[in-house]
Amino acid sequence: MPTEAIDPPGIDWLRVSPKYVTVRLAEWALGNLIAVVLLTLPLVLVLNGAWTWPPLWLAVAVPAVWLLLAVWRLVLIPRQVRSIGYAERDDDLLVRRGIFFQRTLVVPYGRMQYVDIAVGPVERPLGLCTLKLHTASAGTNAEIPGLPAGEGARLREQLSARGEARLAGL
Amino acid sequence: MALTPEGLPAAREPGTGPGSGDTRTAGGTSPGSGNTGTADAGWLRVHPGSPFVRGWVAVAALFFFFGRDSFERLLQGGPVFDERFAGRAPWLLLGGGTLLLLTVLGFVLSWYFTRYQVADGYVRVNTGFLFRQQRQARLDRVQAIDVVQPLLARIFGLAELRFEVADAGESAVHLAYLRADEARQLRATILAGASGAAGASGAAGASGGTLSPSQATEPGQPGTAAVEAPERTILTVPPARLMGSVLLSEQGLAIVAGGVASVLLSAITENRSFTVFLIPAVIGLAASYWSSFNKGYNFTVAVSPDGIRLRYGLLDTQAQTVPPGRIQALKISQPPLWRLFGWYRIQINVAGYGLAGSAREGSHRTTLLPVGSLADVLKLLSLVLPDPGTADPAGVFTAGINGLADPTGTPDTGAQETAARQDADGGFVTTPRRARLLAPLGWRRNGFTATETALLLRSGRWWRNLVVVPHQRTQSMALQQGPLARRFRVADLVLHTTAGPVAPRLIQAGLDEARALLDAQAARARAARKRQTSEHWMEPTTPSAQSPAPDTQEGPHHG
Repeated sequence: MPTEAIDPPGIDWLRVSPKYVTVRLAEWALGNLIAVVLLTLPLVLVLNGAWTWPPLWLAVAVPAVWLLLAVWRLVLIPRQVRSIGYAERDDDLLVRRGIFFQRTLVVPYGRMQYVDIAVGPVERPLGLCTLKLHTASAGTNAEIPGLPAGEGARLREQLSARGEARLAGL
Repeated sequence: MALTPEGLPAAREPGTGPGSGDTRTAGGTSPGSGNTGTADAGWLRVHPGSPFVRGWVAVAALFFFFGRDSFERLLQGGPVFDERFAGRAPWLLLGGGTLLLLTVLGFVLSWYFTRYQVADGYVRVNTGFLFRQQRQARLDRVQAIDVVQPLLARIFGLAELRFEVADAGESAVHLAYLRADEARQLRATILAGASGAAGASGAAGASGGTLSPSQATEPGQPGTAAVEAPERTILTVPPARLMGSVLLSEQGLAIVAGGVASVLLSAITENRSFTVFLIPAVIGLAASYWSSFNKGYNFTVAVSPDGIRLRYGLLDTQAQTVPPGRIQALKISQPPLWRLFGWYRIQINVAGYGLAGSAREGSHRTTLLPVGSLADVLKLLSLVLPDPGTADPAGVFTAGINGLADPTGTPDTGAQETAARQDADGGFVTTPRRARLLAPLGWRRNGFTATETALLLRSGRWWRNLVVVPHQRTQSMALQQGPLARRFRVADLVLHTTAGPVAPRLIQAGLDEARALLDAQAARARAARKRQTSEHWMEPTTPSAQSPAPDTQEGPHHG
């Protein structure tokens, strides 16, 4: 089934850095390594004869299924990263993400309360950063990950300036 | 009871703070440290009895702790003072007396160092004698003002004033307790400052938030202070209707179903133990019914130039004032059983109130109408949205509340025909017929329409909901779609608003319609923000006054 983008037509999306894939891979590896190790623990114990309860097939199936899902997610990561995009329009910022579960967010500049830039341990050596917008609503989960540091700083200044110019009350 | 959390810190303070020597000097310099004149003149204290009303639990606990021993002996028929006790009595008395003294000292100190002032467009409150806190809040930032009277405070004729700003946490300013008439007077003063009425009448050329000194600094004196804006009662909820609505609400339904199930189970299995589960259920039911009844009793909606005023309460009474334009979103809902009587409930998002059910507030603060008829609902809608932005507000809103789309649905082609059908349904655009498998019941309900001032989202066939979001209150929007929704080419549109019970979401709109709405709504919100008038709602908005004002208008928005 071809994926039809849900965002409004005629928008030039700016994509995030391809290096962000590395960050996602690191997160993926860390999370799944721990999970798989924990899930194979029963298998080891059953094989040793220390445990009698879960039956062998279950002890094998659970980590196997997890591994399968993890590999599936691994395959998706590059596409997911490619799907992240943002666009600065005259009065609002658009942020989109996702392939299967798509989301397109519109944040008016005048509604921004503050802008965050965060840099994680994996992002720092790659020269990336994550920009986050906050409005008066907690539901606005506007995050642009994987921005090159220079672009992040530019965007922050740009957003602050535009927010200042168009600031509205609540 | 609502006061207990307050009482404890008040009682704990004396343990840490017999350091009145240095704090007194600090207290002496504090009011004089600022610039002289009007800014210092208006410092007032809360009612001296208030710490005792707040901390009565602590005092009661103290008496309980030391009196229990003697009381138990008395019950057992023994002498009040036996020999063993007589030996310890002086120490006990000394300890108890010291503790009592410290508690009272703490109360007095906390009272002495709690001072407030309303001046120059700010309300300021200083509290604490060891850990000082000085807080000031802009008057025009007010989101709501509540005057709360818990039962005990009501007996003594006291009231608590809460001043809410857009923080969704605790109240920005929280004065407990004032004399009831004083609290009302202070509320009037704050509202006069916030509305710009005082500024407009006093110093015409001054920037809006400034009060003229004579009005600002003496909130306790009715002669010079702002007069309370006249109000007009719009509707009241009769107790019988409230009772009925509580009985027929969701919780009643669930608990009755649980009761029937447990009785059936005991009958079938001939095991009596199932009825045991009924006891906590009945207690829970009684408690929740009581709370709903207590909070909804005598619910009155009044309107004044300072906004919508809600009063309610049987034992604990509360009066909320929500100034115009402070309602971020609104939801009209109808549980299935209420349809028998045509009742509805209205809940609102106000920035200062935060999430319903958080902490000790419960959901009553975010309720604009606990139960009311369609006429009541339309009346309140006209208050919240003075300009509905449509030629036929009653028709559109009624379609939003009760309407149902044509069973043939909105076809993908034939725009003229579509328009005609939509007009019959208040202009609502519903889930396309192709997606009816996703929502076999709700697809004819789920829909949206936009007037010039607000976006209306309706949903639910049995549990009817209508969400109204004024265009200028939209924070941000998101279009969302999962894999299943993509098969049917539908998408959800989520509108983000401040925390509260209303979470606006357009469910399963056709992809093209949703996309168009995203763009159109962004444009409408933008236009509405530009039109947005000052936060001083009583300020004269003549063009001549506005043209030199962009700087002062812009000023408050930055805070």
